[in-house]
Amino acid sequence: MRKLLSYLKPYRGRIALATLLMAISAGCDLLLPTLMSDVLDKGVYGAAEADTFGYILKTAAWMLGISLVSLASVCGGYWVVYRVIAGYTQSLRSALFRKVHSMTLEEVGKIGTSNLVTRSTHDVSTFTDVIAMLCGSILIIPLMFLGGVFLCMRKDVFLSLVILCAVPLLIGAGMLMSKKIERLWEVSDEYCDRQNDLVRERLRGIRVIRAFNREQQAHEKITDATRTMADNIIRANVRMEIIDPAAAFVLNGAALLVVFLGGLRMERGSGLTAGDVFAVIQYIGIILGAIVSVSYDIVMLPHVRVAVRRLSQITESTGLEDDRPARGLTFSGAVDLDHVSFTYPGGSLPALSDVDLHIRPGEWVSVIGGTGSGKTTLAELLLAFRAPTEGTIRFDGLDAAALSPKDIRNNVSCSLQKSMLYAGTVAENLRMGKPDASDAELWDALEKAQVADFIREQPEGLDFRLEPAGTNVSGGQKQRIAIARALLKDAPLYIFDDSFSALDFLTEAKVRRAMNESLAGKTRIVITQRVVSAMHSDRIFVLADGVLVGAGTHAELLESCSIYREIYLSQTGGAVA
Amino acid sequence: MSTVEKTESTEKTGKKEKSSLFDETGRRLLREIWPLRGWILLLAVFCLLLIGCAVAVPELLGAEIDRLYDWARTRTPGLARSLLPGLGLLLGIYALQGAVTYGKWYLLHNVISRFFCAGFRIRLSEKLRRLPVSYMDKTPAGDVIDRMMDDVSDMSDSIYGIVEILLSGFLQMIVIAVILFLTDWRMAIPVVLLAPLSVLLSARMAGLGEKHWDNHYELGGKLTGLAEEAYTNYPTTKAFNREEEVQNRYDELSRRHQRSGALGYFFSSIVQPVIAFVDSLAYIAVAVLGGWLVLRQGVPIGAVVTVILFARQFSEPLEHIAFGLGYNQHMKGAAKRVFTLLDLPEEQDPEGSAEGPARGRVEFRHVDFSYDPKKPLIRDLNMEVEPGRKVAIVGPTGAGKTTIVNLLMRFYDISAGQILVDGQDVSGLSRAGNRDLFAMVLQDTWLFKGTVAENVAYGSPGASREDVEKACDWAYCDHFIRRLPQGYDTVISEDSTAVSSGQKQLLTIARALLADRPLLILDEATSNVDTRTELLIQKAMDHLMSGRTCFIIAHRLSTIVDADLILVLRDGRIVEQGTHASLLAEQGFYYELFRSQYAI
Repeated sequence: MRKLLSYLKPYRGRIALATLLMAISAGCDLLLPTLMSDVLDKGVYGAAEADTFGYILKTAAWMLGISLVSLASVCGGYWVVYRVIAGYTQSLRSALFRKVHSMTLEEVGKIGTSNLVTRSTHDVSTFTDVIAMLCGSILIIPLMFLGGVFLCMRKDVFLSLVILCAVPLLIGAGMLMSKKIERLWEVSDEYCDRQNDLVRERLRGIRVIRAFNREQQAHEKITDATRTMADNIIRANVRMEIIDPAAAFVLNGAALLVVFLGGLRMERGSGLTAGDVFAVIQYIGIILGAIVSVSYDIVMLPHVRVAVRRLSQITESTGLEDDRPARGLTFSGAVDLDHVSFTYPGGSLPALSDVDLHIRPGEWVSVIGGTGSGKTTLAELLLAFRAPTEGTIRFDGLDAAALSPKDIRNNVSCSLQKSMLYAGTVAENLRMGKPDASDAELWDALEKAQVADFIREQPEGLDFRLEPAGTNVSGGQKQRIAIARALLKDAPLYIFDDSFSALDFLTEAKVRRAMNESLAGKTRIVITQRVVSAMHSDRIFVLADGVLVGAGTHAELLESCSIYREIYLSQTGGAVA
Repeated sequence: MSTVEKTESTEKTGKKEKSSLFDETGRRLLREIWPLRGWILLLAVFCLLLIGCAVAVPELLGAEIDRLYDWARTRTPGLARSLLPGLGLLLGIYALQGAVTYGKWYLLHNVISRFFCAGFRIRLSEKLRRLPVSYMDKTPAGDVIDRMMDDVSDMSDSIYGIVEILLSGFLQMIVIAVILFLTDWRMAIPVVLLAPLSVLLSARMAGLGEKHWDNHYELGGKLTGLAEEAYTNYPTTKAFNREEEVQNRYDELSRRHQRSGALGYFFSSIVQPVIAFVDSLAYIAVAVLGGWLVLRQGVPIGAVVTVILFARQFSEPLEHIAFGLGYNQHMKGAAKRVFTLLDLPEEQDPEGSAEGPARGRVEFRHVDFSYDPKKPLIRDLNMEVEPGRKVAIVGPTGAGKTTIVNLLMRFYDISAGQILVDGQDVSGLSRAGNRDLFAMVLQDTWLFKGTVAENVAYGSPGASREDVEKACDWAYCDHFIRRLPQGYDTVISEDSTAVSSGQKQLLTIARALLADRPLLILDEATSNVDTRTELLIQKAMDHLMSGRTCFIIAHRLSTIVDADLILVLRDGRIVEQGTHASLLAEQGFYYELFRSQYAI
């Protein structure tokens, strides 16, 4: 919490200014009933004054002035508050985003992408909305409340006691109620989620549902969820609606009591005037408004507790990546894994055990294996996302642990699993690896990746805009654009992790041919589970359950490695000679 | 993503000039609300009661205050006692007011949530049943969910609007205006005249705020998209050392997002102060005028007090009205999206049923089909498949291999020609009857949230537990199901991690086995499955295929080589058909495709 609020520090001055403006406005609003009662008391009844009507006019002018000041200061106050909140939210978001990018892959995976997204968007909004509320309404409301009580006291202490008795009663009841309502809202939120899930499930499964003629059941499930959700929403809402009338009744009752006691005290000659009583009644109105607003806001508070806890998980995270600056090293492309083992934190079995493999500069090697064989872990180790638990990885004989991850990554060009693209133009995506590449170079890379035709068909060409995560192109197109991006970057070492899975064999063969040409002399590591992608490389490494079970050429492995043979037979049916 | 789409459609509706309350959408909305008129009438009664209380209170309270002022002049004893009857009456009215307010809200929430929202949601769900698969294919799930959830909620504000603005608000204002004029027409004039000004100003503010809010939500959607992208792309960003660039893009969007949010908040927040300001103008006018009237015209001071108290009641509904007017566009945008979905053309379904037990002979006669009339896909496709034969559909990614599945299952309708099953034209069959002939195992394994047993029995609701277990045993699922925490009663779902993707595939095979249909559609792709599971899947599929006419989206060469008929697709068209041997002999596209597997 403290950490989250620390980003508010630069805004201290402006928050004070906003508070001041709000206070001025609240003060003005409170003065109006007083002046009004003056008009009635002194102006209308005050025959003592010589120029009664003049007095009324003067007071009215004051009232007008005060109203204007109130309007101006409240507008100014709100403007400052919301500017501050905007700035604060922005710096909080920015800091969270930066923090996520400085965390290790391990930590990112542990919290989970969707959790991180919820935290940076929804939780931040929930949190800052409340800060906005605190700065905006909650700031004014106690002011109005205290001011109202103070002015009441000034008019008559005894009458004020009536209000002071009623208020805690109301607040206590409100808080008790809000707890219950909170629970009800949670339940109805759950049903809302359930309903969302059901609709999503139904839309996704439309083919299976229709194939098995189960539309009726799907519809009934949604109908049930809808009805239950409605019941819960009604229950929560209706509980909430008790607050308003109940508070109104208690405070209106208090107002009546004030009139009665006021009359009693006037009779006893306490110096209380009818105008005073009238003013107190109006203050009760103001106080009522303040309390009702608070009762609505209180309901928000438990949400905030959750949001703060979740945000802190990011801000307090200690799983940070090594951020040594790059030294500008250039590798030759030799990669050595000396008896490398890797066990995921908390994992009982190693994901990679005692992998010993050595890649010469300019060599094209493939790593093949099924799901869970440890292929992707290997790619993550090579890119310095994780460090081996045992053994060493060397680039040009240098221990990777002694290098900055930035240096390693500068020397590697890669296309990773799921081919990650970014919202923006194709050109922007391609230039990630080579910011100064010319258009001709871009086309050349696209050509090699067999996706130039598709881009050419788009009216915008290289400026064709990709949606976030490339949702407006097919899986195969995404993979090819990612391959083009990898090819464009100039590096001694290229890693392709499961980069051809969405390509048909014909296209893949063409890409392979283009790569053979343009990556000649560069080290190429192809990680795949497709035999066809691996069989032509200089050497193939076979991984099974994290163990290196075979190394050699396609022909050698067919002879010597039973697992390789099994994979080969299962994928090709033995038809490929 | 959904937010972006939503704002897109808001933009569309926003384009048309000033929409009045009673344009096409507005009238339709009123028609939809018409069946609820009985409830709304009851609400109107409640509102009238409340207005009655609202009118009585200042009158009575004014009278009591008047007594205080009178006493100040006359000093007659017994003041407190004389106040009692009036105050007692007031207390009763306050109690009534509280009870009726609660009752009104109780009713209103029921009408809105139960009758209106739930009603619309159920109608939309019903509608989904009748929409063609093509609609689901074109529309992201988020869009449908938005319409069903958020848009329906937003629409329900129209009821709130009718009750709160038309019934409560305007009615209250009219009644109070009349009373104000009856009390003293001179003091009533400034109060009544200033009201429209206040509505105009605040509706303008609310409208301005609304515009920024829309923008804020749109940018918010984009920001979420960007965060989602950044976090999923984390490894790539790092691998290319592009953290700073990604950060800058995020910060820039976040800045715009916050700016629109600040403006939205600002305009929404100042609606109330603006109304309060105009209120105090009225207040001041009444004070001056009232003072003058009391001094010069001998108007009783109680009248001034009454007018002041009424003036507050008069302006009370203004805030709601202002928001209602500002929100009007938004609400109708939502209503429009819901109506569009409800009005979509539905799928036609004939009522024929199959004659006699199916044997599984399939014939395509001169079939034409296209998703987009401008781009013909399948032209004059002819094929005959004898019962028990296997058809392999092959071709590069994106060639439209699933099109054949779509046609066989009647997810899409052919544009010309005939598809016959056992000699009977399927267009004469109901879709359900047609689909009853087929079992399907798709690459996209769909499991719903439910137990393993429920999922396996999905296609055969009457199946006993033994049948389910037998099918699972045949499909090599039994061993892993028994190892799940609750065995066959373990709840699984689409994104459940309890079962691997290969195991999900096996479950869908078991589902198809249990359904036991004469025809079978299979999608063979088995990416992301380990070799051992892959072998099991293959064996399970072999079980499934035996004795059935099969259409297989084939990826394994062994399947292709063994197939009785191979359909070769390219760019959505069937370019070649024949057996493995005949196609190789043709040396066409299939030959090239086949060869590419070993080319360097």
